[in-house]
Order: sequence, then structure tokens, then C-alpha cells
Amino acid sequence: MAEGQLFNNIFLGGRRGTNPGQLKVHSGGILWKKQGGGKAVEVDKDVILGISWMKVPRTNQLGVRTRDGLYYKFIGFRDQDVVLLTSFFRTNCGITPEEKQLSVSGHNWGEVDFNGNMLTFMVGSKQAFELSLSDVSQTQMQGKNDVLLEFHVDDTTGANEKDSLMDISFHIPNSNTQFVGDENHP
Amino acid sequence: GDNGSVVRPSTDLIAYKNVNDLPPPRGELMIQIDQKNEAILLPIYGSMVPFHISAVKTVNNQSDTNHNSYVRIIFNFPGTPFSLPEANTLKHQGSIYVKEVSFRSKDSRHINEVVAQIKTLRRLVAARESERAERAT
Repeated sequence: MAEGQLFNNIFLGGRRGTNPGQLKVHSGGILWKKQGGGKAVEVDKDVILGISWMKVPRTNQLGVRTRDGLYYKFIGFRDQDVVLLTSFFRTNCGITPEEKQLSVSGHNWGEVDFNGNMLTFMVGSKQAFELSLSDVSQTQMQGKNDVLLEFHVDDTTGANEKDSLMDISFHIPNSNTQFVGDENHP
Repeated sequence: GDNGSVVRPSTDLIAYKNVNDLPPPRGELMIQIDQKNEAILLPIYGSMVPFHISAVKTVNNQSDTNHNSYVRIIFNFPGTPFSLPEANTLKHQGSIYVKEVSFRSKDSRHINEVVAQIKTLRRLVAARESERAERAT
């Protein structure tokens, strides 16, 4: 795969929905280009900290975490792509992809995990959703038990999202002991 | 516990059993209501995130002068009067709850529909569940 392998119809997911594009995996790392030009994401293999796979509805999602705290998710890989890329990341980057599971139970109670800038809401041992704290414009404590995260209002669309998340709040009951005495975390 | 080690009470409502039971992805990400599976799906960071309707406490919408519509969904969490028997606080002690989310949309008609559909579905499921709870006692 020295000269690279192309994957078409790979969506870059993020704050404002998803954008379709083409992902190239080559000996130097990962390059994603938005369909029709514009945005590109380049991740050098030396900055890749972790790789993850997750089965999402009808397809597979690749998560790429970098040493500088960034996280990218690429959606749209077939099962055979997963096999191919898993062995590629192993041999070329020395990274064994982690397998994550998506929670689809629809429960609104669980745990909050932090990894770099990412906040992940876990239900059971499965991931329900994740968000990037770097997009949070304001954090507010509401009373003793609630934390509100407000997101930057961004009108530069282009992403295929009709309804945009403006804020989300979490309720942390007194019975929760995860965040006691830690003021850096909600 | 999907591993079968825990017997799930009949009142513990889940939206989907498997990842591929979710509605197929659409071209445009927007709030969706899945009547059949009694779920709402919210676009969060480019993913459609399901919540069972029984987790929803209230929903309301408003609009501003810039033709933006806003929808706010408040979920059940401990300390609020629960309307559904399944929302048992002791069962999930120590958990963190998603309490509220709000979305902005340019499509007020779509937001009005979403709010109406959530209210209807919630009412239907709440009525059925309280009936079930009554029969059980």
C-alpha cells in the first residue's frame, strides 16, 4: 500500500454534521479530501495516537486520535475495508485498532468519559455519543448537580445538518462519585 | 447487560437491540422520530443518536426574529417527578444523566412537526406503560 489506497464516499463527521469525501491511506498517514474540494484533513502517521473501529448503522466508522488531542471520525467503510485497514495500521503504524461498540438502547443515563478533548457518553460499556470540548463556548454549573455545555454558534455550514446542537446539559446526582472534588471536569 | 446475565425487567424500555435496527442514514441529518421503535434520533456530532421516548420528559419549541427555530428536549432524571414507572432512580444510582438538549433549525415547519410527533408518541407510550403497571399490581 506504499502508493496508497483510496476509499470513496467516506464521510467526515463532526460538530456540524457530515461531509462526503475521499480518504486515502498511504505509507505516510491518512489524507481525507472533501468531495468537490475545500476542506482536507491530513494526519501524519507519526501523530496518530490511537485508532478505533465502530459498527454504526449500515456501515463502519473509523476513529483517529492524534497526539495533539485532535480526534477525527470517518464514516463509510465496508467490512472488508476494516479488515484491510486494520492490518495496514498494525504493520505500517504499529497500532492495533481498538473496537468500540455503539449503544443503541436509547437510555439517557450512563457515564461520562474524557479522552483528550473528547467527551464520550457511555451507556453500559458502549458508546452512545461523543462531543468535542474544543467546540464548547461556555460551561455553566447550574445548581449543585447540573452542568451545561454551550456550543459555538457557527453559521459556516456546508455540512448536511438541518438541526444543530446548541447546548447539552448533564445531571450528576449526589450518588455519583466520579467527579467529586475535581473542578476541571463537569 | 446485553450478555444475558441480568434479567431485564419488562419495564426497562430500550429503543433498539442492534445497531442495524436504526433507520438507514439519510442525506441530511435532522431530528427524526421512529414511531415503530418508539425512539427519537438526534444529530449529535454527525451521528444519529437514539433516545427512547420514555426518557423524554418534555419538549418545547420557540423561534426568533431571524427565522431560526429552537427545540428543547428535557429528559427524565432523578429529582424530577417521573411520569413513567420505568424511570426508577434507585436502579441507576451513580449514573450521570443527559438532562437537556437544544437544537437550532432553519426549518420551523420541520421543528413544529418534530415537537408534535414527540408529544403524541410520548403520550401513547406513557398511557400504555401506566396501564401495564396498573395491571401488574
